Amino acid sequence: MSQSSTITFFNEPGKTVKSVPSITTPGKNYQYVDNGEPMRGGMKDVYFGPDKSYVVAFYRDKQDYNSRERLKKLVTQYYDSFFNREGGEYYKELYCWPTDMVETSDGKVGLVVPTYNKNFFFKQGYATSEGIKGKEKQGLWFASAKFRHPQFALRLDESELGNWLSYFQICVKIARGVKRLHAAGLAHSDLSYKNVLIDPVSKSATIIDIDGLVVPGLYPPDVIGTADFIAPEVLATKHLALRDPTRKHANRTTDLHALPVMIYLYLLYRHPLKGGKVNSLDTEQDDLLSMGEKALFIEHPTDHSNQPKMDQVSKWTLPWADVAKLPYTITGPYLKALFDQAFVTGLHDPNQRPNADQWEQALLKTTDLMQPCSNPKCQQKWFVFDNTTSPTCPFCGTPVKGTLPVLDLYFEFKPTVWRPENHRLMVYHNQYLFQWHVNRHVVRNEKLTDEQKIPVGYFTFHHNKWVFVNQKLTSLKDLTEDKEIPVNTMVDITDGKKLLLSTEEGGRVVVITMANK
Amino acid sequence: MTGEPIEAVKNGVQVMISSLRQNPQAIETAFISIITFDSEAKQVVPLTDLASFQMVDIRATGTTSLGEALKLVSTCIDNEVTKTTAEQKGDWKPLVFIMTDGIPTDDWQIGLEEFRKRKTAFTVACAAGSAADSALLKLITENVVSLDTADSQSIAKFFTWVSASIGVSSTKVEDGGQEVTGMGELPPPPAELNIVT
Ligand SMILES: Nc1ncnc2c1ncn2[C@@H]1O[C@H](COP(=O)(O)OP(=O)(O)O)[C@@H](O)[C@H]1O
Ligand SMILES: [Mg+2]
Repeated sequence: MSQSSTITFFNEPGKTVKSVPSITTPGKNYQYVDNGEPMRGGMKDVYFGPDKSYVVAFYRDKQDYNSRERLKKLVTQYYDSFFNREGGEYYKELYCWPTDMVETSDGKVGLVVPTYNKNFFFKQGYATSEGIKGKEKQGLWFASAKFRHPQFALRLDESELGNWLSYFQICVKIARGVKRLHAAGLAHSDLSYKNVLIDPVSKSATIIDIDGLVVPGLYPPDVIGTADFIAPEVLATKHLALRDPTRKHANRTTDLHALPVMIYLYLLYRHPLKGGKVNSLDTEQDDLLSMGEKALFIEHPTDHSNQPKMDQVSKWTLPWADVAKLPYTITGPYLKALFDQAFVTGLHDPNQRPNADQWEQALLKTTDLMQPCSNPKCQQKWFVFDNTTSPTCPFCGTPVKGTLPVLDLYFEFKPTVWRPENHRLMVYHNQYLFQWHVNRHVVRNEKLTDEQKIPVGYFTFHHNKWVFVNQKLTSLKDLTEDKEIPVNTMVDITDGKKLLLSTEEGGRVVVITMANK
Repeated sequence: MTGEPIEAVKNGVQVMISSLRQNPQAIETAFISIITFDSEAKQVVPLTDLASFQMVDIRATGTTSLGEALKLVSTCIDNEVTKTTAEQKGDWKPLVFIMTDGIPTDDWQIGLEEFRKRKTAFTVACAAGSAADSALLKLITENVVSLDTADSQSIAKFFTWVSASIGVSSTKVEDGGQEVTGMGELPPPPAELNIVT
């Protein structure tokens, strides 16, 4: 039979529903609507299914044997190992993972991908026009200072921007997505704000363009990445022949460059390597060197030569372009240490770069240091406690009113010897305490059970003093007063007090310090 | 250019601007200038960022001063595209799109000589309709696109293509080429356009 396997039928003029067979499940077909104007990416033409629940994305170029095998594995073996097992549901949120592979009669290969979740399309978009309403929320909208500048003509509506805390949650999700890929031995190879959709409103993120995944040693990567995210060593060797052994390719460690670049961008709305230093009088060469061989952190602690020059930055990028006003240290001590590791020690030494799990943990721990800003007009709404005795919001300058309890967490190193964990919890009115604060064996990650996500108590400023209300801790003890604190009672939070949160193995002690007295 | 074609060009520019204004990469990086040429060449829009760009009336009647236009684009590049200095990073090389529906009526070679001294990331010339001479445009740039008819549909397609070529895409490994900064290679043209090779 020489009949084409691509069936074509018409329902409305100019709109054609086509059908294409799966190559993993014989007999299965996918329909898609071809109106002659597919959505176009760098490599694929993308068509919606008739009910828009999925898209079919066809490669414009012929795919070779390797690439087809790789894609087949992604939609079968890797799909199963990621999603068809315990905890798999959680990851479905983090990726837009292809579910099947198709091939037309003339040999065009395509992927079937669930349509991006609707919260990744702008409800409102621009503040002053309809321009991007309904368009995808690709990351750059939120990674650039311009689009959040209150006077910029094409700024985003405030309702789209979320607050500073939203971006910590978003970065946690991105880090988790990368962590899981790496745990499976995969590398994304093209992490960028184009390939991660983010939604500050629902605080979600999803990694797209999964089809470029690299299995080290097995399959060669397709792309070197997207400008702004390509690791320095990859740029510095990209002029070499593809098979030159000294040429550096995208792999796990280059993801570990792209990830912190993204985190830095989402928290500080500027690029960590784009500063004022000129490395060549040829603009294109300068770009290549500044992001490659000569890359230098704009906030390098000792070499200040790449700091942004304030007389050269666009006014729309302020105040974020001003590293003196908003230094990266406003992201707190845990992230500062990791940024140093990624952009100072590890910038040209890929193996020194922190892994995705470290980013996830540092981001989460940092949220424990955050305080809501008391200024209702503050654009960021949250800030990280700066460890000073009279803290102020770095964004709007509003000082914190009243005392601030700071809780330092300790663990039992050996019987009767307690050691600090370099983990601190800042208390604010109506803040909750969770299992992961109480017991060091409860790790705050995507594997938490619903039960573990229920707070065990909360802090509140009540009758002019700070108290902790115990809701679920069965062995809470005030060590200073040597007194049990039963469930449904409260304990005063005062300077110097020690509380034992749990007598179970792994239970922690917290030591209270009052700041801003 | 008169009548339908010039209206289509105006429309094309407008559609292009509004499509670029939906693209954050373009808003971050692209500046646009428009030069028209008939009996003389005029810069009707100076190099302007996308957010502040305001459309003006485009007119082009009678003769085709392509040479003047090439000269003017050269001086505009000199004056408006920031060069990198030891103190300050400059702009990327410009993309130049030339669109004409006729045969040059001035001494275009002198203009071309000037233009050749300027570096562009790429130059695309578009011969709109049968009266344009794509062989001549080939002397200006390798990238010549010819529209069989200068009607609104094909002109619109050309501008869609222009918008698509101003944007960031992932850099393929095989490229190994020079571009890293986003103004990469041209996307494949829509089927309706003929690339003259
Ligand atoms: N799952 C999807 N849901 C909705 N739109 C999609 C989906 N996948 C792709 N698209 C659209 O198609 C475009 C190109 O797809 P992409 O996967 O980025 O292709 P490429 O690999 O060629 O860059 C995207 O920018 C987006 O507009
Ligand atoms: Mg893409």
